[in-house]
Amino acid sequence: MTALRARAPHAGLALLIAVFAVFFVLPFAGLLERGIGGSGTWDAITSDTALDALVLSLWTSAVALLIAVVAGTPVAYWLTHARFPGKGAVEALIDLPIVLPPTIAGVALLTAFGRKGLLGAPLDDWFGLTLGFSTAAVIMAQLFVGAPFYVRAARAGFGSVDAQYERVAHTLGASRLRAFARIVLPLSWPSLAAGAALCWARALGELGATLIFAGNLQGETQTMPLAILSAFERADGLTAAVALAILLLAVALVALAAFWLLSTRGRGTP
Amino acid sequence: MTLEFAARTQLGDFSYDARFEAGNEIVVLFGHSGAGKSLTLQLIAGLLQPDEGRIVIGGEAVFDSGTGLNLPPQARRIGYVVQDLALFPHMTVAENVGFGMTGAGREWRLGEVLDLMHLGDFRDRKPRSLSGGQQQRVALARALACDASLLLLDEPFSALDESLRVELRRELIRLRSELDLSVIFVTHDLREAHLVADRLAVFDAGRLLQFDGRERVFRAPANRRVAELTGVANILRGRVAATRDGILTVEAGGARLRAPAPNGWRPGEGEAVDIAIRAERVNLRRLDADDPGQPNLVRGTIREELAYGATHTLRFESALEETVEVEIAARPYEVLGVAGQKSWTLELPPEDLHVMPVVSASAAGSSAGATTA
Repeated sequence: MTALRARAPHAGLALLIAVFAVFFVLPFAGLLERGIGGSGTWDAITSDTALDALVLSLWTSAVALLIAVVAGTPVAYWLTHARFPGKGAVEALIDLPIVLPPTIAGVALLTAFGRKGLLGAPLDDWFGLTLGFSTAAVIMAQLFVGAPFYVRAARAGFGSVDAQYERVAHTLGASRLRAFARIVLPLSWPSLAAGAALCWARALGELGATLIFAGNLQGETQTMPLAILSAFERADGLTAAVALAILLLAVALVALAAFWLLSTRGRGTP
Repeated sequence: MTLEFAARTQLGDFSYDARFEAGNEIVVLFGHSGAGKSLTLQLIAGLLQPDEGRIVIGGEAVFDSGTGLNLPPQARRIGYVVQDLALFPHMTVAENVGFGMTGAGREWRLGEVLDLMHLGDFRDRKPRSLSGGQQQRVALARALACDASLLLLDEPFSALDESLRVELRRELIRLRSELDLSVIFVTHDLREAHLVADRLAVFDAGRLLQFDGRERVFRAPANRRVAELTGVANILRGRVAATRDGILTVEAGGARLRAPAPNGWRPGEGEAVDIAIRAERVNLRRLDADDPGQPNLVRGTIREELAYGATHTLRFESALEETVEVEIAARPYEVLGVAGQKSWTLELPPEDLHVMPVVSASAAGSSAGATTA
């Protein structure tokens, strides 16, 4: 079997692999080439716009991830074990934002939480609270598109833990919470970590929904993807756009690598 | 420690009804898969709730449908070893065994239990790296570690080699006497049931058919179904011809069989009965002119023969309606010269015949109440 698999690929397949690889690697190469060669790269990276956007992106996506984990974990656990009619519909609804184009998500959020929205209007009338075009809106947009990835992964993780383990833990005197903390959580950890990473990456890259629901105000709602878009739209903005893109890419890579290291070292092999 | 158990429940098409009790002994729940044995353990442990019933462990009620009492599993103090063991894969042996232990002296007691189960050398290993027998001992140790005096074992040895099973059964019997345990032991293996049981509860299709001392279940099954389940090869349908001085004369097929009247039940003349005799209890005799007409003797012809090495199983066609199965050890088989002779007289000794009431399948369960009382 191994011998068969280790055999060199057929010539046609090899060509396909090569083309595919070039297609995915070349854009990164282009980004780096343009960024290193461009004259204004460093200025663009150290500009106030870039730093404001980076800081905003990092903390809003972190808050969105936190909410997704805190609220999504119990929901995912409940969904894994609950049996009720219409469960499939509920699961599909939770997955919906994954397949929804972000611009639609933005419009939908606006119609619900915007100043004239279903809930937004009464909030504005009674409490003077406006969610749309605020930093809160940025986080809501990120949560809306990112959380389903976490919930989905967590459901898969919880579902892969044999229910027998929990039952045995109960007979050994463990409360539901203790069984969850000592048995379910450690055994589903890899799935939860992967889901959290996906959720955070999706929140960090969120553009369409944020633009429509939160706007594009520097320091308030202008996250890195929005800053890149704004830079690109200016005359001769490509240099700045490339510089910001490289910055975001680097930060994302470092964060994901650190996260991966933490999550594998924290748990050993389950 | 004592257990009083009575439960009735309906799960889809499956209806369950059983009642038994256990003292400081090993009670074996025996039956085919799907008979309700594992379900019984889950009900005792509190992983499932019956529709009706009352479960008392060590004098303390843990479930009572009358008062609405239902303690969760973690409050029932039971050691439960499930069939697939469910050792926590991410924990070491010591962490697994210590999972349910709390309070002062935890480390010391953990060491005690590990030593008791000969697991001291494996305390830092992960379950996956252990052999089947070692994993089994970890599961037992984990169940024992929280000082449960009621131990529920679900087919605990089914995944092991025969030699290991023998060793672990011996270990279980030792533990029971050392730790004053009540053990409820589920198995579908007849030999295992016979070996470990003090008392035996025979389950079939959600009903407890008989609950009695081990010898009593094997020697005096309550009805045809219990006899079948406990490996009685010959069950004959007959009619009572006469009853005199505690001896029944039963006509079955063309034969007259004398048998002692069963305890606590006196069939009337003309009543239909079932008669059980184990294959190894039937004797072979050479044909003799005096045989016909003598009670408990039937002429038969070998129709099928199976050689198991130590024993031979012979299937006879005779005046009896059903085929008679005879098990004979290799030595008498050779001495008698069975290989060269097809026709024999079968002797069904009165003391080995057991007369049972005829019970329809649906009524089989209701007789359990009578045998339990």
